[in-house]
Amino acid sequence: MHSDTRQALINIVGQGHLVDSHEDRLCYAYDASPIPMQPGHVPSLVVFPGCTEEVARIVRLANEVGFALCPRGAGSNVSGGSIPDRDAVVLVLTRMNRILAIDRANMIAEVEPGVITEQFQKEVERLGLFYPPDPSSKAFSTLGGNVAECAGGPRGAKYGVTRDYVLGLEVVMPTGEIIQTGARTMKSVAGLDLTRLMVGSEGTLGIVTRIILRLLALPPAKKTLMAIFPDLNSASETVAQVFMAGMVPATLELLDKTFIRAIEAYRQIGLPTDAEAILLIEVDGEPEALDRQAQRIAEICMNQGATRTQVAKDAAEAEELWIARRSAFASVSRIKPTIIGEDATVPRDKIPQAVREIQAIAARHQLTIAVLGHAGDGNLHPTILADERDPDEMRRVDLAVDELFRSMLALGGTLTGEHGIGRMKSPYLHLETGNAALAVMRTIKRALDPRNVLNPAIGLGG
Amino acid sequence: MDWKDLETSAVRCSRCGACQQVCPVYKELGTEAAVALGKIGLIRAATQGWIQDPAALSEMMSLCLACKACAANCPSGVQGDQLVLAARQRLVEEHGLPLLKRLILRFFLKHKAIFETGLRLGSVGQRVLFRRTPKGNLPRLPMGLDSKRLVPALAPRPLRSRYPVVVEAPDARGTVALFTGCMVNHVYPEIGEAAIAVLHQQGITVVLPPEQHCCGLAAHASGDQATALELGRATLACFEKCQVDAVLTLCGSCGNTLKHELGDWFSADTAMAPKAVVLAEQVQDFAQYLVAIGLRGPLSPLVGRVTYHESCHLTRGQGVKAQPRELIRAIPGLAFQEMSAPGQCCGSAGSFSLAHYDLTQKISARKTEDIRATGADTVVTGCPSCLMQLRDGLNQGGSETRVLHLAQLLASVLPRPQAQP
Repeated sequence: MHSDTRQALINIVGQGHLVDSHEDRLCYAYDASPIPMQPGHVPSLVVFPGCTEEVARIVRLANEVGFALCPRGAGSNVSGGSIPDRDAVVLVLTRMNRILAIDRANMIAEVEPGVITEQFQKEVERLGLFYPPDPSSKAFSTLGGNVAECAGGPRGAKYGVTRDYVLGLEVVMPTGEIIQTGARTMKSVAGLDLTRLMVGSEGTLGIVTRIILRLLALPPAKKTLMAIFPDLNSASETVAQVFMAGMVPATLELLDKTFIRAIEAYRQIGLPTDAEAILLIEVDGEPEALDRQAQRIAEICMNQGATRTQVAKDAAEAEELWIARRSAFASVSRIKPTIIGEDATVPRDKIPQAVREIQAIAARHQLTIAVLGHAGDGNLHPTILADERDPDEMRRVDLAVDELFRSMLALGGTLTGEHGIGRMKSPYLHLETGNAALAVMRTIKRALDPRNVLNPAIGLGG
Repeated sequence: MDWKDLETSAVRCSRCGACQQVCPVYKELGTEAAVALGKIGLIRAATQGWIQDPAALSEMMSLCLACKACAANCPSGVQGDQLVLAARQRLVEEHGLPLLKRLILRFFLKHKAIFETGLRLGSVGQRVLFRRTPKGNLPRLPMGLDSKRLVPALAPRPLRSRYPVVVEAPDARGTVALFTGCMVNHVYPEIGEAAIAVLHQQGITVVLPPEQHCCGLAAHASGDQATALELGRATLACFEKCQVDAVLTLCGSCGNTLKHELGDWFSADTAMAPKAVVLAEQVQDFAQYLVAIGLRGPLSPLVGRVTYHESCHLTRGQGVKAQPRELIRAIPGLAFQEMSAPGQCCGSAGSFSLAHYDLTQKISARKTEDIRATGADTVVTGCPSCLMQLRDGLNQGGSETRVLHLAQLLASVLPRPQAQP
């Protein structure tokens, strides 16, 4: 990087708010995706702007000088979307971490992008309000990152995903203008829906600097139920049956035996390590209705072949189960170090078939693919356990991933439910969108970002 | 040893980010290199030969409190603190120790006679290196210590010189050896006196093996494994000869070193490894031992509000969490109030606080605020190093709250013992 450019960036953010040394920058050459660190991904500078105006000045400088910018929150992206290319500048938004307002009368909140998801949830819950999106990384992920990826989580089955809670945004556009999208009202149809365009755009169309979020009333009670199955197929068959009976659990998670054993090894909370699969189900709402709902779901599970169901005896036991569930991915890294957690999503009634195909692909390529999923919304996480130091295994992983994507799409599914396209799925995007839709996306990108400064290597095929 | 040896552990880090949530250094600095996943990334970069400036790498590896919060919170079971300590060791092997650390660790600390004579000279020795101010001692020279770091005065007479080797209790119900540790022996002998008084009153004979020296953690944490091993060997040889029910420690870090670290250090040493296993089985924290044998009352009542600070190496290292609280709660009249984050590191981390004082102060300020919010007039802890840091932090924050080792609190509510030093 030219020294004038460097100095200009220092002048914008201040000397104390950037990291410069090669060793410091190495630590920004990766994110939580399995893409290994490589010299080609070491950015030229990492800056930590403190306000919207600083972000805008950095973006304008990038346009003038011509360098790429990679916005970053906690770096917990699992599709490689936070990984820069060499010579790019990483723009970390964690300093902008204020909760600006929680408005109880209108049930909305306004936050900066660096607020940690779980901290925000705790704040609103103290006021009897509820922000449902709960990605497994919520204890450290940022809301800005959640918006950029349209993060989901187990509660998606009943409550949807991040996009369902974003009413409006402040965005620094790729050419440096600051715009406001959406409104502070539940209803607004003024103009094109730029909010929805931005949510899930993976930092390619703008940098979110302020977020207006819709909140719900906190459900007064919840109950967690675990159903234990002797085979994976009957557990998968049960998912659609629950919904067909008119039950809408907040969360319905499917875990296979590989996950059950790895989680149990990590937390020792008494998961049945001899089971082939479990469904972890949470219902929420008025306390009077919960027992009946849980009872009804337990009956359905038993009718579908569950060997046993059990209800968490108190909130602490339930929370223990959910903490364990959130640590599932990292837990399996005790078995093999490289975890490729895919998030192909299929219509709910196709889950049994999807699971069978995943098992067939694993067998064909002699790989361990563990299955876990937010089954309630069809979002499966087939998780390939491998070792990046074994080139032959990694070659088979590539083949398996390719087949996996094609077969999930054939079932009417999508490449990614909530992780984003990032770097990892970019080459496959056209398989789902088709060439015409991909061309539309690229046209939008070119129109908004003519110098291609924002996340040029992310998300839009190639 | 080579960087490659660390790869097997390092590769298990999935970079999920869970360590960001709990790392006290990351909370202050906010950079990836501050937190375990970044440091592990750097270890992997070193394996690949991608490090350009070893000094920058050393500086980054030095920014770790070894508080084990990342390890306790890591879903993949990666021991971030252990990897950092191992990396420091590689760096010392490749590039050597800075001059001051070399002087302290290799000359002063390693040689017990020089160390003890030096410290026995106490005020004289300290005046050479430190200037006295009304607040405490400040370093005179830029010798690797932060120039604003207050260092407590050394005791004029170390703890062990105040007692016979065996402090016999009449009709003893047990016999223990006391590992005094450097801080208690030379800086806070009053903690040792309190512990011996409590044990004596409880009918426990206390042996103070005179050959004991430093546990070696300071050397290990600085990457000077050669010195650490030498000190470890001396400790094992010293306590091997003791016929006691238990070896007690008054310091979370010393205890963790004796209980867990020595076993790791000597895992490949067929002569020493079995001795490390035997010692590990004998070592107990003071509070753990008292709860196990059953504290005999009556305890006289105290008025006031107490909170408890968990030493990282006591709570996460040794798993001693419940026993100190049980002993505090047993005292009639005292109100016990938990902090919101009792297990958050105080920022001391041995010599970390000496080298990175500004950072330590920020970490310490969070702890001070947490203590203040409890409304406690007394903070109790189980580690002299934490005690030093907590006092410094509370003092800087203008708080009147006093800090006591658990042994001191217990000594104040038990009948006066007959055996005074």
